[in-house]
Amino acid sequence: MSKLSRRDFLKMTSALSGVLALSRLMPSLSLPKSTQSLSRPNILIIVFDAMSAKNLSVYGYKRNTSPNLERFAERATVYNAHYSAGTFTVPGTASLLTGLYPWTHRAINEAGLIARNVTDRNVFRLMGKQYHRLAFSQNLWPNYFFGQFQEDIDEILPAGSFSQMDYVFGEKFNKDVLTTQRAFDDFLFRRDTPPKSLIVSLAERIFLRRAIAHTNQGGYPNGLPQLNDYPLYFRLPTVFDGVMSTIKSLKPASFSYFHFFPPHDPYNPSKHFYRTFDDGWSPVKKPIHPLGDRWPSKRMYNFRRAYDEYIATLDIEFGRLLDFLESTGVFETSYVVVTSDHGEMLERGEQGHTSPLLYEPGIRIPLMISYPGQKSRQDVYSPTISVDVVPTLAHLTGNPIPDWREGELLPLMGGQELPNRSIFMLYALKNPAYSQLSRVTLAMRKGNYKLIFYRGYYYEGDKFELYDLQNDPEELNDLYSSNSSIAKPLQEELLAKLEAVNAPYKS
Amino acid sequence: MNVGEIALVYAYMLATNFLESLLVLCIPIALSLILPSKWFRDSFVAHGASLVMLGLGYLIFLAYQFPTKNSYPGALLKLWSIALALGIILLLDFIAGRTAFIKKAVEFIAEQATIFLFVYMPLSLISLLIVLPRIL
Repeated sequence: MSKLSRRDFLKMTSALSGVLALSRLMPSLSLPKSTQSLSRPNILIIVFDAMSAKNLSVYGYKRNTSPNLERFAERATVYNAHYSAGTFTVPGTASLLTGLYPWTHRAINEAGLIARNVTDRNVFRLMGKQYHRLAFSQNLWPNYFFGQFQEDIDEILPAGSFSQMDYVFGEKFNKDVLTTQRAFDDFLFRRDTPPKSLIVSLAERIFLRRAIAHTNQGGYPNGLPQLNDYPLYFRLPTVFDGVMSTIKSLKPASFSYFHFFPPHDPYNPSKHFYRTFDDGWSPVKKPIHPLGDRWPSKRMYNFRRAYDEYIATLDIEFGRLLDFLESTGVFETSYVVVTSDHGEMLERGEQGHTSPLLYEPGIRIPLMISYPGQKSRQDVYSPTISVDVVPTLAHLTGNPIPDWREGELLPLMGGQELPNRSIFMLYALKNPAYSQLSRVTLAMRKGNYKLIFYRGYYYEGDKFELYDLQNDPEELNDLYSSNSSIAKPLQEELLAKLEAVNAPYKS
Repeated sequence: MNVGEIALVYAYMLATNFLESLLVLCIPIALSLILPSKWFRDSFVAHGASLVMLGLGYLIFLAYQFPTKNSYPGALLKLWSIALALGIILLLDFIAGRTAFIKKAVEFIAEQATIFLFVYMPLSLISLLIVLPRIL
């Protein structure tokens, strides 16, 4: 056997290191090019509650509501047909954080929780301990989920952080936040019902209302921005300043989730935008839906105007955040994800989102992801859904893609465009969480078509609607009766899915 | 939520209500100490029970003036309005102590309501024992 020379040894070493370097690169080949050198990119998720893509100029809305989101889009991957799996915060956020459809996580009712057997399936756990995991939500309901995930989150900021007035009681009990929020904020002191405890909650209401009356509301003609059901009031610049200083203090590698309450109702735009959109414009007229609120058109006009002005108010602050992220170099080292938990219905006589109507404004939400160092815009037009975000983040951070995932990897983030995949959106607010889905609206998007199925509404009966979103984006022409060759296979698929998800609850 | 967590939520609520009840109880006790015994202490059950019932009735009425998120019954919370309500309550309480059949009826109700004491007292004390170590 010949002797190994020094030259041979050096050759072998360099060849070996080359192979090793290549093997490290292999799993990240499908990642955006500039991130391949980052072993652990930071992840920054920004969620705006109840932000419908249909009301954003970045998605083609007529009013100029989101110039700063447009600015962000110029350096991001924009998903143009992105949906929320649920229609309000509980199912919408639960799906975003778990990557599971509502029928799996079962957080389908108001203030509902994620099923105990799947709480370990959450994005914070997937990121692993190598990340500093931070969660902040102004909306109280995601805080219930944070409580369920607390073993997997390193830092939870209270909902009242950066607020002007925080009368949320549960947060004052550090050791029992989740329980005391239930006991006090959801039962004894809930704002939209008469107080359940006579002395303490009556005193709380009297003093709170006095405090509000004496707070400087300057800058917000409709009143200070606030949560709808809980006594928490804030100024948007203060909240964004707080979030920016929090981001500044984060050490790499960090995974941070910031859930802002606006533009959720009540719509309280700043004086800068107040009545800016009082321009007489209304979108195409649509018929009043029997399951909606049946608001008159004048009222709908005012809801839409205020909502758009609130988005514009929020967008200004987002612009400041954008400047901050640019100036501090966060964009060079981080994936920045901007999305929402659900949309907002402002048509067919319906205002809000705890709505059985699954038309586009209620379920189509923004999703824009900027990868580290991204400088130009990319667009994805095939349908995607909020349950896709968790597996995608796992992939982008080099973690194994969970085998329990119910979504796909997002196109241009490791996944492929799947224009003919089926995605589902569910409303089941009045359905008991742990029984068959029998009082629901279920929508299925496949290709250009959307099938909507209503079940269990006694005055409506079981009903289907079918829309061709490519040729009829406003969903005005129901094709269900006239186009059975398309409707039938979609109907069979949707009913088979419903049957499958109901199977575990059949006695 | 599991049974333990639901029980804990109830424990917090019951403990709060118990502390409120003690606060309410302090009012007739304080009055019986302050006022001449002939005015209050001698017919403590009738006076105390009618005072508590009327007072709680007033609080329930006030509470229901806050039915929505932003409602504020400003006129009812003015000093003169509260003073007027208290005056009426005290007058009715005085009448209750002086009118034989009302006095009898109030004492009967108070007697019957004792059953709640046997139900709520142990539950409230257990709740307090659960809650206090968790918050202290």
